[in-house]
Amino acid sequence: MTFASYYVMPSGPASYFDGTGSARHDVLVQAAARELRIIGADRRVLDEWSYADLRRMSAPDGVLRLGRSGETLLARLEVRDRTLAAAIEDRAVTLDRGGAAERALRRKVVGLSLAAAASLIVTAIVGVPALTSRLIPLVPLAVELKLGNAVDKQIRSALDARHLGAAFACGNGPGKTAGREALQKLVGRLAAAAALPFHLHVDVVRRGEPNAFALPGGHIYVYKGLIDKAQSPDELAGVLAHEIGHVAHRDGTRTVLQTAGLSFLFGMMLGDFVGGGAVVIAAKTVLRSSYSRRVEAAADAYSVGLMGKVGGDPRALGVMLARIVSDKDEGMKILLDHPETKDRISAINAVAIAGVTTPLLAAADWSALKQICAPRAADGTAAKTGQAAKAADQGVPPQR
Amino acid sequence: MTTAEVFSSPVAATGAVAFLGKEGAYWRLRIKGAALIMVTLGIYRFWLATDVRRFLWSNTEIAGETLEYNGLATELLVGFLLAIAIVVPLYTAFAIAALADTVALASVALGFLLVALLGEFALYRARRYRLTRTVFRGVRFDQHGSAWNYALRALAWWAVVILTLGLAYPWAQASLQRFKMRNTSYGDLPGAFDGSGSALFVRGLPIWLLVVGPLVTAIVALSVLIDWDALNAIIARGDADATAEIMGIIGYRGFGIGLAAVGTSLGAAVLLYPLFQAVMLRWWISGLRFGAVTVASRLRTAQVYRVYLRFIFYVLLFVLLALFVGIACLFVIDALLRPAHDANLAELAASAMTVCLYVVVALGASTIYQVVVTAAMWRLGTQSAELSGAQALESVRAEGMPVSALGEGLADALGVGGI
Repeated sequence: MTFASYYVMPSGPASYFDGTGSARHDVLVQAAARELRIIGADRRVLDEWSYADLRRMSAPDGVLRLGRSGETLLARLEVRDRTLAAAIEDRAVTLDRGGAAERALRRKVVGLSLAAAASLIVTAIVGVPALTSRLIPLVPLAVELKLGNAVDKQIRSALDARHLGAAFACGNGPGKTAGREALQKLVGRLAAAAALPFHLHVDVVRRGEPNAFALPGGHIYVYKGLIDKAQSPDELAGVLAHEIGHVAHRDGTRTVLQTAGLSFLFGMMLGDFVGGGAVVIAAKTVLRSSYSRRVEAAADAYSVGLMGKVGGDPRALGVMLARIVSDKDEGMKILLDHPETKDRISAINAVAIAGVTTPLLAAADWSALKQICAPRAADGTAAKTGQAAKAADQGVPPQR
Repeated sequence: MTTAEVFSSPVAATGAVAFLGKEGAYWRLRIKGAALIMVTLGIYRFWLATDVRRFLWSNTEIAGETLEYNGLATELLVGFLLAIAIVVPLYTAFAIAALADTVALASVALGFLLVALLGEFALYRARRYRLTRTVFRGVRFDQHGSAWNYALRALAWWAVVILTLGLAYPWAQASLQRFKMRNTSYGDLPGAFDGSGSALFVRGLPIWLLVVGPLVTAIVALSVLIDWDALNAIIARGDADATAEIMGIIGYRGFGIGLAAVGTSLGAAVLLYPLFQAVMLRWWISGLRFGAVTVASRLRTAQVYRVYLRFIFYVLLFVLLALFVGIACLFVIDALLRPAHDANLAELAASAMTVCLYVVVALGASTIYQVVVTAAMWRLGTQSAELSGAQALESVRAEGMPVSALGEGLADALGVGGI
């Protein structure tokens, strides 16, 4: 070191911790051309730190705290002298003066997160339904049957609010054979034309709402309220054909797969912050409704096709739908799990050929089917099977 | 400047602890972080947590030197991903077990226990990560001890606390703090905890009597007043119309006692919560030991009450503001979309706004809490602390190595994180 360079070199006081112990050394630091020179009280050089190794460590305002990269010992140099700190920052690029490199890194994180979120949403809208459609043929029918049986028990006990047990289903008792046979005739015609891989099992249950639904594996529930509302066998058959469409498309399995896919996409990776749960729930609800609307539209189209095959009126489903919802407010459109009814009806009418058809059931069969849930007292001969059945016979008031 | 000048400046080695951070800077940090968390659907939280720790640590001055946090956000992200790899199969296994209806209840109970155990495990390991990333005077802190051992102890203590209606809480805290601190070290300086459960019990008993006392009294009183056999008979019958009968048996006096007890207890809990926090913080800080270094806390209860009052004021102000902005937004959306006559668009805009407003309010309230309560408690805790025997801090030998952030990730995945 020459005499001249000693005085030209910026230098100043600093605190030095050598990393082997906690003792503080008051040192003089010289900012040399290639390295920092740390000089102890005895004028001895304690250490020399090359600028390339310097790292800025977190420190309070007004303190430049330096460490060295790749060190297991945590030697630290704390500079409070502003001119010295500025001189060091001038010489060491790695210190990221002003934090520009750090800000660029943060911007990258934010940008990539946005891209990830966008790709997630696109995957949820396009990828999940496409993937489930390709997965469904790979799910064995036996698995779907098992799934159907598992949910059947739960759904049945949830629907059977009055604990009617066996009497919850209509048409099982003696004296109801005519109604049951009429139903079988109608279902039989539809099933023969549909040629499903499942055995269809249709139950009429004592619920007041005009509704019907299908479970995975071919179990279809028709509410008494729907039979009451139907004015022709073809209207009932149209709804049945729609539910058979769900069975044929294996929509129960589809829903399970789609829900699992959504939960995986949204539940684990993202949304883990205060208020984020609401975003996830909202996104999942909207997406599930959109999946469901597509599935329902496909089942409507299936119904039209099947009704055409058996020679029924393909527009009867639309007529039935119009009657059911004539006095209902459907609520928020993006949350609907069915398409809006007027859209459904116009979609049905767009593909269904209008024409004169003969009713799918003869008048006598139809009136027997309409009476399938009627109180047994009407036919007078039925034997009572227990208190529950008796309660059911009093006529269950509509649930809603 | 000559070397002579440099080396002559004396530094007082007192045991003072101070907090240097300005609240304004912390507000900026938190608000910016909250906005970025919202935009990135939560991914930014690892960077925010790291920034927050850097701020809190480096502004905490102990005996003339500040702490340093040298953890990285990417370490937290990796820890979180690692934790996801563990937690996802676990949750899936629970879901499968819950589907088989024969073992449903057992599997739910077992699952709850396992998640609680994993949560305590995560908390202990997260503390280890934070300590090994805490540097003071060029020497890092460290934590040893088995996290499973800690988790089992913690769970056992929680069971005792619940069974004793909270009366065992002081001893549970003392035992767990002792475990944590005797496994903590600063270089070769071993940590210890000197707070006693009995001392905390004496301080906390009045709070317990005012919060839990009314409930216990009411239960005892009601058990005498009510004809339990008749009530059981009605409930066993499972009739839907039994409400009137149940009312008749319990009677207005019974309802009055129950309502008064719950009301008193809730009121006391709200009013005494700051006192509870003050008692806990004072007791915890005063119990900390590192070798010959002892700590005493001069925290005053009134300071903690001021913190919570300020929080209530800020939250009220914020909610009012959010309501105002929300209503204004509704009018703007209505004005913008009315000419379009598109019900779909209007629905979409209204629902998107509702979700947005909810997120803003939730995140905003949490941000206010973090600044006005958490950071303020940190400041009060440090400023009220006083070290004795601080000269022992000058001759500590460095020991220990940094560890992975798995614990942090687990705590994050399970939702049990700390600072």
